[in-house]
Amino acid sequence: MQDSKKGYVIEKDTIIIQRDLTELDLFVKKFLNILKKHADYLIISGFVSIATGRTRGTEDVDILVPVMHKEKFSKLFNDLSQNDFWCYQGDSPLRVYENIKNLNSVRFAKKNEIFPNMELVPFDQTKKAKSFEFSHPRKIKIKDFEFKIPPLEFEILYKEIILKGKKDMEDARHLRTFFSEIIKKEKFNEYEPIIRSELK
Amino acid sequence: MSLKTRLDYIEFYACKLKKDNSFFNQQKMLIESQLQSSSSLFKKMFVSQRNFKNNARKYLKGIGLI
Repeated sequence: MQDSKKGYVIEKDTIIIQRDLTELDLFVKKFLNILKKHADYLIISGFVSIATGRTRGTEDVDILVPVMHKEKFSKLFNDLSQNDFWCYQGDSPLRVYENIKNLNSVRFAKKNEIFPNMELVPFDQTKKAKSFEFSHPRKIKIKDFEFKIPPLEFEILYKEIILKGKKDMEDARHLRTFFSEIIKKEKFNEYEPIIRSELK
Repeated sequence: MSLKTRLDYIEFYACKLKKDNSFFNQQKMLIESQLQSSSSLFKKMFVSQRNFKNNARKYLKGIGLI
């Protein structure tokens, strides 16, 4: 099979998805360009499947971020506001920070829009599974849009073991099939106990 | 391949996509169509009103998102 026809190729450990950017990608890219100036991140859940070809709608894009100090969050919040994002939880960074501090998600959408939104999911070291996936990112690239996702085997198992909804099982099946040539059985074995620890 | 369940179709489509990236064009159309419909609906609901954010937050509270 010619590489130019394939859905993806691997270049230097980066998964290159061979397609054009969608409006959803451009929305995520714009948000990430701002976020990356202030914090490290990992894109998780539905967008991982959609970015790699799953055909379904989505309203939110989940992003893991390490819990951060108030000042750092305020700078991020103000930068997002100046770039036409608004926050569901409020207009005051200090008030919204209470959510971050308590490890509750906050959501941002484009001005005068509700969906799609970016859901920032803060975590700290007490969250073992989240800490693990965050520290083992995999790079993925679509045209000039590069971002970090969890290891594929981790993402699949998390959907199958923790989330388990209809949509999640479908996403997992898509990822298992689309990436069947590069996912590794030993990685599933390695990640399963880490993911199951989240159930305890 | 006999396609009986939704998961069978998902697997079938993922196999096609893996071998032929022209199938991404269909996916792009569907995703963008959903985004545009959603955007247009909520613009009609809230943008004409004076305070978009307050009204949007009322709606989001109503559906349990905040």
